[in-house]
Amino acid sequence: MIAKLISNMHFLTAMVLFLIGFHTMLTHSNLIKKVMGMNIMETGIFLFFISVGYVRGGSSPIAVPGAEGYINPLPSALILTGIVVSVSLTAFALALIVKLYNYYGTVDADKIMQLRGGEE
Amino acid sequence: MNHLPVLLVALYLAAALGLPLLGRNKKFPAGLFAVGVAGCGLILAAASAWHVAGTGTYSYFPGGHQAPLGIEITIDWVTVFLHLTINLLAVLVLIYSTADLSRELGGGRAKTWYYSLFFLLLAALNGIVMAFDLFNIFVFTEIGTIAACALVAIRPKRLCVEAAFKYLVLSALGSGMVLLGIGLLYMVTGYLNIGAMAQALPKAFAMYPWNVLVALSLFVIGLGTKAALFPLHVWLPDAHSSAPTPSSAALSGLVIKVYAVAMARIIFQAYGAELFSRIPVPDVILVFSTAGIFAGSVLAIGQTDIKRMLAYSSVAQIGYIFLGFALVTMNGIVGGILHIFCHAVMKSLLFLAAGAIIFKTGIRKIEDLAGMGYRMPLTMAAFSIGALSMVGIPGFSGFISKYYLAFGALAADKPVYVAVILLSSLLNAVYFFPIVVRAFFGHKEKQMTWDRLPWAMTVPMVVLAALTVILGILPGGLVRIAELAAGAWLN
Repeated sequence: MIAKLISNMHFLTAMVLFLIGFHTMLTHSNLIKKVMGMNIMETGIFLFFISVGYVRGGSSPIAVPGAEGYINPLPSALILTGIVVSVSLTAFALALIVKLYNYYGTVDADKIMQLRGGEE
Repeated sequence: MNHLPVLLVALYLAAALGLPLLGRNKKFPAGLFAVGVAGCGLILAAASAWHVAGTGTYSYFPGGHQAPLGIEITIDWVTVFLHLTINLLAVLVLIYSTADLSRELGGGRAKTWYYSLFFLLLAALNGIVMAFDLFNIFVFTEIGTIAACALVAIRPKRLCVEAAFKYLVLSALGSGMVLLGIGLLYMVTGYLNIGAMAQALPKAFAMYPWNVLVALSLFVIGLGTKAALFPLHVWLPDAHSSAPTPSSAALSGLVIKVYAVAMARIIFQAYGAELFSRIPVPDVILVFSTAGIFAGSVLAIGQTDIKRMLAYSSVAQIGYIFLGFALVTMNGIVGGILHIFCHAVMKSLLFLAAGAIIFKTGIRKIEDLAGMGYRMPLTMAAFSIGALSMVGIPGFSGFISKYYLAFGALAADKPVYVAVILLSSLLNAVYFFPIVVRAFFGHKEKQMTWDRLPWAMTVPMVVLAALTVILGILPGGLVRIAELAAGAWLN
């Protein structure tokens, strides 16, 4: 059991990162920390994808003489797109936070809720 | 092979990129240009529908690389139905926006940016409904998410920015879950193509049931968050009520449903109806959609702001769509697909009418609407048609979809959901009828003062109201397309 876990360490780490990010996003009231949580969660997913495509002892997917087995290049290619998506989400979220700070003078979600009050 | 549907996405992407450049010229008529592009989009969608009606459904392979190595795009009846819905609504909403936007966004170049974002959103929506590849669905979903959030945040009010941030965070959570689900499925099947995956899944399910099940729950929760399935709807009321009116109409009318369609496509075409109903996921979705139908209606009754009330009503209406899909019977799915169109038409109509009232009088509170039927008769008549259709009065399009949903519930041997549909219709009446009654009969002075609206606002409302009535009386063609679409999902 333990040996199995250790040999699949990267999957376990990916899941732990995903959950840390998920938890940070939902429980922290600081908006910057929410965005950090989002990035940690996405990093966990990227690690998961890369692990799916990894072949132990495989070489990079370029035809070179003497290579035995290749790493699956598709997940890496997908994650390249995933990283772009994640960067744009982060940039957009940070831009919104700047605007929110200008309007409310704080980056704390709870304080913003208080300031907002019954405003419609 | 016919290139029309792909050109549709290309057209919108090109327009989204070109608009900021063209908008550098201060005299550039951005609104007119936007309506023209969306009109071209509608023509493309109609031509593609005509082509499919003539020669049948087909798969499109960009670059000519065959699946599963290449990317597959499916042009089936679901795609055709959604393309027509999206582009028709887009044209009408954009016509409306030419009159409304200056008030909501202020001057300057905000309008050009607005149309650019709107086209990005349209490209994403059109892309999601024809993608037949899980990763493609994910990428289009992300484009749609960012564009939709930006369409809320573009209005220079602090409430909008806050609502957009909440929307963005919850959507990002949802997309994270969807991506993880895609990874889990890719791990056990080795495919991203939905058709190839459908063949590999039964074997994968026998060997690695947990991967397949966890992926399914991630899809349901992730896309459910984006589609505002109760109790994941918390972002919706703020975002949809604070956005500029054309955004509200497009977000409530189109965006949330496209995610529901993406979820249904994964469930029915990758997992298959048989595997899907062998595990108790449909029952869970049924419970949540029922809870959503009631909770959305009850919360809507308590609202004092008219746009907020309409937003809560969307939570209830998306419940009907999920209810239809989760019944996993022919009539249920037909009802769900029909409700996508019917709700898109009537909710946009209601949002546009509410927006017109706010545009002319600045009134947002429901209690202040007394006598509005005498000040803005055309707008209130359109609003009343939308409201009657929402309640499901026979003769309006809302009745047709509920009728099919009820038959679907009977066919699934779950008559309790017929009661759900009936009871929730009564709840809808509780919050829609007082507005109509107050507007036409709630005022002492019965003096007609006709507040004229710009024609760009009245024309879309009249067209939508006419569609609601015509489809309520002659639903034949629409039902036929929905049946063809549902047939493809159930096989």
